Amino acid sequence: MNRKLLGLIPFLIFILLCVFLYQGLFGNPRELQTGRIGHTMPSFTLPDLMDEQKQWQDKDLIGDVYLLNVWGTWCPTCIAELSYLTELKEQGVKIIGLYYEQAYDPDFGDQFDINKLRAEVQAMLARTGNPYQFNILDLNRTLALDLGVSGAPETFLVDKKGTILLHHTGDINQRVWRSKFAPKIMELTQ
Amino acid sequence: MIPEIGYFSLVLAMALSLLLCIFPLWGAHTGNLRLMRAAPSLAVGQCVFVLLAFAILIYITLTDDFTVAYVAHHSSSTLPWYYKVTSTWGGHEGAILLWLVMQTLWTAVVALMSNSLPWILRARVLGVLGFLGVGFMLYTLWMSSPFERLLPYYPVEGRDLNPLLQDPGMIIHPPLLYMGYVGLSVSFAFAIAALLTGKLDNTWAKWSRPWTMAAWGFLTLGITIGSWWAYSELGWGGWWFWDPVENASLMPWLVATALLHSLSATEKRGVFKSWTVLLAITAFSLCLLGTFIVRSGIIVSVHAFATDPDRGLYILMFLAVVVGGSLALYAARVAQVKSEGRYQFLSREVALWINNIFLVVAMLVVLLGTLLPMIHKELGLGSISIGVPFFNQMFAILIVPFAILLGLAPMLRWKQNKLSPLVKKWLLLSVVTLVITSAWLFGNYEVVAPLTFIGTALAVWIVLLTLFDLMQKVTVQNTISEGVKRLGVSYWAMVSGHIGIAFVIAGVTLTSAYSVERSVRMLPGETATLNEYVYRFEGVKEIVGPNYTGHAGVVSVLKNNKLVIELHAEKRLYNIGMQFMTEAAIDDGFFRDLYLALGEQLTQGAWSLRIYHKPYVRWMWLGGLLIALAGFIVITDKRYRKTSAPSEQQGVGA
Amino acid sequence: MKIVMVLLLILCGSATATEDKYVFASEERAATFRELTHELRCPKCQNQNIADSDAVVAKDLRDKVLSLVNDGKSKQEVIDYMIDRYGYFVHYQPPVTPATIILWVLPVLIVVIGFGFIVFRQKKASRKQTWSSEDEQKLAKLIQQYQRREQ
Repeated sequence: MNRKLLGLIPFLIFILLCVFLYQGLFGNPRELQTGRIGHTMPSFTLPDLMDEQKQWQDKDLIGDVYLLNVWGTWCPTCIAELSYLTELKEQGVKIIGLYYEQAYDPDFGDQFDINKLRAEVQAMLARTGNPYQFNILDLNRTLALDLGVSGAPETFLVDKKGTILLHHTGDINQRVWRSKFAPKIMELTQ
Repeated sequence: MIPEIGYFSLVLAMALSLLLCIFPLWGAHTGNLRLMRAAPSLAVGQCVFVLLAFAILIYITLTDDFTVAYVAHHSSSTLPWYYKVTSTWGGHEGAILLWLVMQTLWTAVVALMSNSLPWILRARVLGVLGFLGVGFMLYTLWMSSPFERLLPYYPVEGRDLNPLLQDPGMIIHPPLLYMGYVGLSVSFAFAIAALLTGKLDNTWAKWSRPWTMAAWGFLTLGITIGSWWAYSELGWGGWWFWDPVENASLMPWLVATALLHSLSATEKRGVFKSWTVLLAITAFSLCLLGTFIVRSGIIVSVHAFATDPDRGLYILMFLAVVVGGSLALYAARVAQVKSEGRYQFLSREVALWINNIFLVVAMLVVLLGTLLPMIHKELGLGSISIGVPFFNQMFAILIVPFAILLGLAPMLRWKQNKLSPLVKKWLLLSVVTLVITSAWLFGNYEVVAPLTFIGTALAVWIVLLTLFDLMQKVTVQNTISEGVKRLGVSYWAMVSGHIGIAFVIAGVTLTSAYSVERSVRMLPGETATLNEYVYRFEGVKEIVGPNYTGHAGVVSVLKNNKLVIELHAEKRLYNIGMQFMTEAAIDDGFFRDLYLALGEQLTQGAWSLRIYHKPYVRWMWLGGLLIALAGFIVITDKRYRKTSAPSEQQGVGA
Repeated sequence: MKIVMVLLLILCGSATATEDKYVFASEERAATFRELTHELRCPKCQNQNIADSDAVVAKDLRDKVLSLVNDGKSKQEVIDYMIDRYGYFVHYQPPVTPATIILWVLPVLIVVIGFGFIVFRQKKASRKQTWSSEDEQKLAKLIQQYQRREQ
């Protein structure tokens, strides 16, 4: 009796496997979920990109829903998304920049020129539009590490209490915004 | 014009393989001998046209025809000629063409060497191989042609071959691996033909065995060389990372290893018939699955191949048809298969069965570990990674019972054995094993971790028992030379394969336990000490290669103040892709490798260097070669060339 | 005290002229660091651990691991620290959850089924067995005689 059924087992397992493989074809293996979702913003004290006298702390950010956008002028995708982010800003979205400097390496500290960087950022933002309320300079990438950032661009959605709701890797465009961010923000405002 | 001839040649090949698929299968079904007789010439014909296409691809690469997209993307005019040749399989389209070359070559060889087979079986085997050929050719012609043109705007210079692939290991690794993969399609074809015929007797196993052995030998070689390539080319001294691409080649190997053991039980004792067929189907299915994993981009791997969802979809459909179809056929026919042999618990049959369990479990560990991260994410449970720590742990557990049994099994005869004389020998030999292992490890190292001891002991155990068994079997005859003569070819293959495994186990264990490394910052003239060697950094000189420039760090290696060797660790910048490559300098030796990689340039003329001392690392690849040798020894067996039905003369080996 | 030791090591290093890139207070810590950098995955790369990757984030993680290890954190503490930030993806050892438990259960299950099959077969076979060990000896003798004649 059951010899026939036993013989069918490999076939059935294979069919199941095919279903998963088929789904896998349309997924993106590079899209990641990191550990920070649902946690509050890590504490930090970092200078403003344009003015090192001005120090930002985690508690300065509490009270508003905002996007934290990790970017750098060295990253072409970041530059590409600046104009869309500027559009979002004009619609009333609060965006804070976290400047992620790739070239800075504490072991080779001598090559870094902050003034050159500021000039570059200003020139860039003048061209594409400036979506940022302000930019936090994370020269040692410590806040980035605490946030689970692996590169740029990456964007976090943070609520009024400072809880991280979303962590998006890659650029923000209309599709991503409508499918991922807008629904969350709707939820928050209701 | 010439690339178009290549394409057309493939079209002709596909027409022939369509006929090869239809004629013999239909002929076998209706009993039409004339249709069946067409198979061998069709098989040779399709091979000729595929070879012609391949030769044309090599020709247009050598002549730098950058109007052809494949050449423009994977070669350049400054590439040395031998890397131009290998660039024909360095990209996706060419790799699939190489697969086709192998596929049709194997088919032709089967067609020419199978005249002892009954026509009905021969026709079915070739028909199934023809079907596989059609699948791959359609794929090549439809979505992955290497002869596509970039007209009218073509580049004046190609993008060059990925520098990682510009290495001797890469010249031979893919062809060997594909020889193995495609070779397993022959075992698969035999299994399907036997299922179609409905006669799963031991003659089927006998015919299938040499092909399986050869395929397995090539696969072993391919994996071994791949590991050696990663070690010498990636610049981190690593030799196995459990990357999905590596796993894709390991899974069919594990099942093929199970298959050739189970084939011997089926051939000689008529047991495990339905299981053996299932293994033959599984082994090749895993080759196809591996190809799908590697080529579809569903899994993140270090090896970035072409990832195009359409191509992935095609391979998945092909996989579904081939594997789904054969498993359905299996389900329909398996109930009729009856195993006939009787055996007791303490018998070689049971030992081979346990061997199969462990190999299949090992394959499942690899399969689950490779696919579960993807499934986990599809189920909305988030991203996880499964890698080195998981696999190492699982394999460390599995290898212990496996290796112990591997030592014992050859001493067991078929059917049944008396326990007490065996136990006496085993106890004695295990004491000897412990003594040798202790002397070896405690004599050389201050710290011996329990796992290191176990691993080494397993290797010693296998060698000891294999040699002991060999000695017993040789001395049972009147003279030693007669004893040696009476041992079958497959026995010698077993000895080689098992000792090879012992070398792999010892190599992996010892190099994992006792490799040391240092990352240092050095100025010219400075020295660094690692184990008994002193490394003196002599400075850096400029190098200019055919298609790269760079720096070579010159390091003198001294032992007891005597110069051992001068090593040149290079850091190359490839001109076209502007990619940096670390070319490690290796002083290889039987007992240790010295491995040196040049890092980045630091301030004040200093350089960062990584120095590795890797004991016994070569034993892994030596073991791999010995294992592969086993496969090639078996095919020299004259039994497999005889035209007569099953022979009475049986080797003692499994 | 620890800092003093590290400083001492650094000083000794420069005295013999060659500087190690990573300096540890003890051999255990060096080993922990080595294990960690081989088990933690570079989140940006294709499929590489942080020891082998040249990516910026891999270097940052390496430096973080170094400082955590030198602060006396245990291996598990460092892993938890990284998982907190980068999720389970960052560690090559999967977590044990209802979904991943199959990784360990299935192998055990197959081994049990495989051994069960032999036991089951033996029981079934022993019921049918008519071939005794005496018969076996007779056969062996016959075979031997046959072989001798053949020579």
